[in-house]
Amino acid sequence: MKFSKLAAAAATSLVLLAGTAQAADKPVVGLIMKSLANEFFQNMMKGAEAHQQKRGDYELVAVGMQNETDFESQINAVENFITQGVDAIVVAPADSRAMVRPLKKAMEAGIVVVNFDVALDEDAKKQQGVELAFVGPDNRGGAKLAGDALAKKLGEGAKVVIVEGNPGADNATQRRLGFEDSVAEYKLNLLDSRTAHWETEEANSVFSTMLTAHPDIQGVMAANDSMAIGVVKALESAGRKDIQVVGFDNIPAVVPMIKDGRMLATVDQFGTDMAANAIDMALGVVAGGKPLEGWVKTPIELVTAD
Amino acid sequence: MTTDTLKSAAPAREGLSLRVLMQNSGIGLALLALIIFFSVTTEHFLTPNNITNILTQITINLVLAVGMTFVILIGGIDLSVGSVMAFAAVVAGKAITMPGFGDAEAIALAIFAATMTGVLCGLFNGIASAFWSLPSFIITLGMLNIARGGALQISGAQTIYSFPFAFEEFGSAMVYGVPVVFLVALLFVLIAWFILNFTVFGRLLYGIGNNEEAVRLAGHPVFWYKVAAFTICGLTAGVAAVVYMARLNISSPIAGIGFELNAIAAVIIGGTSLSGGRGSVIGTLLGAIIIGVLANGLILYGLSDFMRQMITGVVIIVAVILDYYRARFASK
Amino acid sequence: MTSSPLPAAPSMAAHPEQAFLQADGVKKHFGGVKALDGVSFSLKQGEVHALVGENGAGKSTLIKILSGVFPYDAGTIQFDGAPYCPASPHDAKASGVQVVHQEFNLLDHLSIAENISIEKMPKTRFGLLDRKEMNARARKALDAIGLTDVDVRSPVNSLGIAHRQLVEIARALQSDSRILILDEPTATLTERETRRLFEIVAAIKARGVTVVFVSHHLDEVFAICDRVTVFRNGQSIVTENISETSPEGVVRRMVGRELETSDPAEEERSALGAMALSLDNLQTRQNPKDKGVSLDLHYGEIVGIAGLVGAGRTELLRAIFGIDPARSGTLLRDGQPVHFSGPRDAIASGIGFVTEDRKDEGLILDMPIAANASLASMKAVSRSGILNFAAERELARTGGERLKLKYGRLADAVSSLSGGNQQKVVLAKWLARNPKVLLLDEPTRGVDVGAKAEIYAILKALAREGVALLVVSSEMPELMTLADRILVLAEHEIQGELARPDFSEENILKLAYGQNQTAGEQ
Repeated sequence: MKFSKLAAAAATSLVLLAGTAQAADKPVVGLIMKSLANEFFQNMMKGAEAHQQKRGDYELVAVGMQNETDFESQINAVENFITQGVDAIVVAPADSRAMVRPLKKAMEAGIVVVNFDVALDEDAKKQQGVELAFVGPDNRGGAKLAGDALAKKLGEGAKVVIVEGNPGADNATQRRLGFEDSVAEYKLNLLDSRTAHWETEEANSVFSTMLTAHPDIQGVMAANDSMAIGVVKALESAGRKDIQVVGFDNIPAVVPMIKDGRMLATVDQFGTDMAANAIDMALGVVAGGKPLEGWVKTPIELVTAD
Repeated sequence: MTTDTLKSAAPAREGLSLRVLMQNSGIGLALLALIIFFSVTTEHFLTPNNITNILTQITINLVLAVGMTFVILIGGIDLSVGSVMAFAAVVAGKAITMPGFGDAEAIALAIFAATMTGVLCGLFNGIASAFWSLPSFIITLGMLNIARGGALQISGAQTIYSFPFAFEEFGSAMVYGVPVVFLVALLFVLIAWFILNFTVFGRLLYGIGNNEEAVRLAGHPVFWYKVAAFTICGLTAGVAAVVYMARLNISSPIAGIGFELNAIAAVIIGGTSLSGGRGSVIGTLLGAIIIGVLANGLILYGLSDFMRQMITGVVIIVAVILDYYRARFASK
Repeated sequence: MTSSPLPAAPSMAAHPEQAFLQADGVKKHFGGVKALDGVSFSLKQGEVHALVGENGAGKSTLIKILSGVFPYDAGTIQFDGAPYCPASPHDAKASGVQVVHQEFNLLDHLSIAENISIEKMPKTRFGLLDRKEMNARARKALDAIGLTDVDVRSPVNSLGIAHRQLVEIARALQSDSRILILDEPTATLTERETRRLFEIVAAIKARGVTVVFVSHHLDEVFAICDRVTVFRNGQSIVTENISETSPEGVVRRMVGRELETSDPAEEERSALGAMALSLDNLQTRQNPKDKGVSLDLHYGEIVGIAGLVGAGRTELLRAIFGIDPARSGTLLRDGQPVHFSGPRDAIASGIGFVTEDRKDEGLILDMPIAANASLASMKAVSRSGILNFAAERELARTGGERLKLKYGRLADAVSSLSGGNQQKVVLAKWLARNPKVLLLDEPTRGVDVGAKAEIYAILKALAREGVALLVVSSEMPELMTLADRILVLAEHEIQGELARPDFSEENILKLAYGQNQTAGEQ
């Protein structure tokens, strides 16, 4: 999609111009988000904007991308931020490997870099000789929370399936691994594991077919709530009330489903605050604080009807 | 089966001949082979529940593909249908969740909003590409972005939910195990079949696909016929949005990504020529069923996601190659 | 590559009288259709051999077999004493058989030089395209056929239709040809260009190359050919020396019956009706001058428009029909000023337009005969937008009967018909509307002799019924047969008008070339 890239690049430069015009002596933070078409990041972005309004002692320049895999516009954004001489870059990488080199450049230019949401690849960091902390939730641990809730409800040996996110996406992989951790720990019987590309309609179609192939499914672990909604709809059409569903993200649309028991649980990683927290940490370092180290875990919480 | 109109350049109302049958049954035979294969190799394929599933699963693609058939028949293409569907769904989602309406009014308003959004997008595609004689490829690529952006803007990138219960019921209603939404799609196929085979409008769409200039010089308003084809395509995107909402009870601004390619694939597998002028909506129906059967059957067969994607690709290519031989056979 | 683009005479020239290609009982079937049903003929070294016959008689099939497009089913072909069955066009070319096709095979956006070398691009030592060598070769090839004034670097689409034909011939001659097949080479050429082509053919012949010449124009056949083979219904009827036969004899063989000879001068002409169409200083978009065209057309009258290619004849008809609306001037229909903003308006006022190019503008080739015949009469074969197939069949059937259309079934694609019958379908499409004014652009291009005579009879009958006809044609005999008056157009201006007693090719040409001798070059 050349079109979207161009558009994103153009947007970046416009935002940058606007940003510098206001930046008198307040520190400037460049925020690089993932796809703003994703409501999770949309909310995170709104959280960051609200945070900037509240603190008021820094300038925020935010950039999003058109879709999940469009990391090229993120690289462009980093380069533009370097040229612009921002004080800190707070980034949710679209690709855990591709982003390492441009971020290294930014660090060499003396910019404070904070990596949140998705961790950069350890091997890639080592290769490039980059020392960079990660601020973010434990996707794997979060998925395991949901998986454990399901396992506890169903008991050992229960038959379950996983509905995965985009193959290759880092958080999709982490969440699948977390579900698999629960499967191993509680000796669940994993019948099938398929992707529905984070999407409701596809999850609906894929899951209803899985249910045909395995009518004895007892539980479903969906890697996000959009897909969990599709699964719940498939269960309703099939007239199955005996199957438990867990999701991830705690989007508003699933709140009533959890309440009335159509979903067992979801996981809240407080996405709204995530970017804001990362910005706080970055500003701390800019103000002369100690550099961040290792993995600064942000809170996650299991959400159930109780 | 109505094989006599399948694939013919234009309706030939001279009865069935062996040749016509041979020309047209290729796609049907391929579907039959797939069905037999999955029935033998998987346990659950040929069960009433699974057939219901397949019919539900192909409904949206079928509705989109019916509209796409009109556009491809005149030698155009519409890349925007997936995005327009999401746009229409979001507009309708906003309408249906507006406070102060009873269930029935809200649902009627939503259906009206979705179809009008689709119609307007299609109208724009048609006018822009026909008036300036621009390739519809690029105009609808523009619309793809406009509609997707519009959907995200209006929804604030949030999933819209909690629709009236009656709407949801319509989405999951069955008549003898056949989903009502599929029957709606089938009704569209029948209407399209009638239009393309029995009306002046349909006849001239085939004519435009074959030789636009000849149709123009015969005194027909080619411009408006082309606009109408794109508008019909937009309308079906709006209808697909209604089906989406009824089935899933949400409106997602990121719905329908890549749906245009599935719809195009159904049309092409169904034997409609990408260069226009040749094909039929019955073929499109079979093409959509093939795609649906494949997606469903391969999961039941236990194939991995990636193998499934590869095989779907292979089937599209094989279908087009088969069509090449069918066309050669027909010309002899 | 030979240094000269024209191949030197092979050593075989020692036996010029001996046949070096001999075909016996060649047959070819397509499905159930017999395309060739026993064709026998021979080619001699260095002769110009005409193949004549109505469309569908088998000439094209034979050419395609000789040039390796498809194999034959039965019979034998000997070439230089060895069996000849080329597996592909490439094979045929390697044996020295070159074809210049009726349909152009040039790549429009590439240069002339690129087109000429397309089969074998010259390369430099590094394997890159040797543009200099390519242009030099093309220059030589064009010089050899007398196209000295054309830049080989200009794209093919900048050339007129006639020049494209010559570029095709130059391309074919560039390889070592032993047999050069020209498939209706003069169909798109003006008289002057045709003469030039004949000079080239004579030169090729002098080099010992055999030329196979396919044409519907018997005057051309008798002007340059040595022998003629007549085809009918997929069979070769006879091969005769031109010196021992006559055009009448050849026509008789072609159609297998006597044509009604009509002496145009003695024919009864109906009295002129009221003014049907009147142009007053009508200027087409393409007309660069200030002066337009003025003419009157009465009911019951056939007015011919002669002129060279590029004189603005087709443009004039298109302007009248509202396709490319005129820049200025007035158009009176039945004495009333009218403005047509599109063909729809023109048709509504009772005008029909049989276009020059039936494949691109006249017919929807892949659609059935019936659908083509009803294309301009949708209202007559439908009710509230729904087609009435019985009415459509009836319309096509009566139209076909009136025009003596030969077809299998009305549901057959129009592309399955011969050129003459396709043209009849175009006519049927307009006659179904009972037009009061009929514009015709090259009404018999690519139509065989038999169908031509039939079409003339139909047009004359229409005039007798009171229809006003405006006919553009490059064939002067055609205009002289059909027209009551001939207007000669050059450079978008009427140069003069000829009444029947003054009809002669000489008089037409004088006006067409006018004072400006270069008019025919562009």
